[in-house]
Amino acid sequence: MTDRERELLVEQALSAHRERDAQGRVRSSPAWHDLVESDRAAVFDAALALRTMEAALDPEGLSTTARAVLARVGMPSSAR
Amino acid sequence: MSDGDAAELAQIARGDQLAFTRWLARSELRLRASLRSFATTVDVEAILQETLLRVWQVAPKVTDRDGDGDPLFRLALRVARNLAIDEVRRTGRAVLPEPQGLPEDARHLPDPWLRALVERCLAELPRQPRRAIQQRIASAGGAADASLAEEIGMRLNTFLQNVGRARSLLAKCLSRSGVHLESERP
Repeated sequence: MTDRERELLVEQALSAHRERDAQGRVRSSPAWHDLVESDRAAVFDAALALRTMEAALDPEGLSTTARAVLARVGMPSSAR
Repeated sequence: MSDGDAAELAQIARGDQLAFTRWLARSELRLRASLRSFATTVDVEAILQETLLRVWQVAPKVTDRDGDGDPLFRLALRVARNLAIDEVRRTGRAVLPEPQGLPEDARHLPDPWLRALVERCLAELPRQPRRAIQQRIASAGGAADASLAEEIGMRLNTFLQNVGRARSLLAKCLSRSGVHLESERP
């Protein structure tokens, strides 16, 4: 795997978008599975930083993770 | 548990989504940080989202039996750890990571000073990286990167490169103001 391919996988794994399985459970990111351990650790740190920035920008202090969860529980956008 | 916390728990138990929103805002980063020991063995993002969904589903049954702290957060910690351990076992890993200490309470979030700083750093980004990361944030995890890239007329790899460049430039900009988020434990 080239450095560029690795960097693209890291960026994909950092997204809050996750597919669901047939039972509706949140599935892990295929990109995350393709990363070696050191890159997975880097993703964890980068996600913590990124979600902190997202929460700081959000009027209600919510990251994209929290927004994704609220969308799943049926939170109407007008109530956010 | 304070009267305010008890009232909020009761609101969440009754299905009050705005109360759950407030709880999420102050709990998500602490919960994420609590999963550090699983960082290389499970996709923490997936575990975290599944945990928060389950917390919402079982919240009506949660009571504050011992009056010590935030019962919903304690529940979330247990659910997250159990989901992570299940995933570790499912993937055939033999060694289970030990839990680590919890980060400090993050009730100060959102921080207006940090918000102003991140907004300023975001505004200073070159156009394409700014477009890409704003698209990501606006999607709120609701769409795959391929769709987001297409919506703003970028190829997927270009989109991902721009998101990465935006993250890097934001971190440098924040660092110049003394904010080092990747070494923080919220």
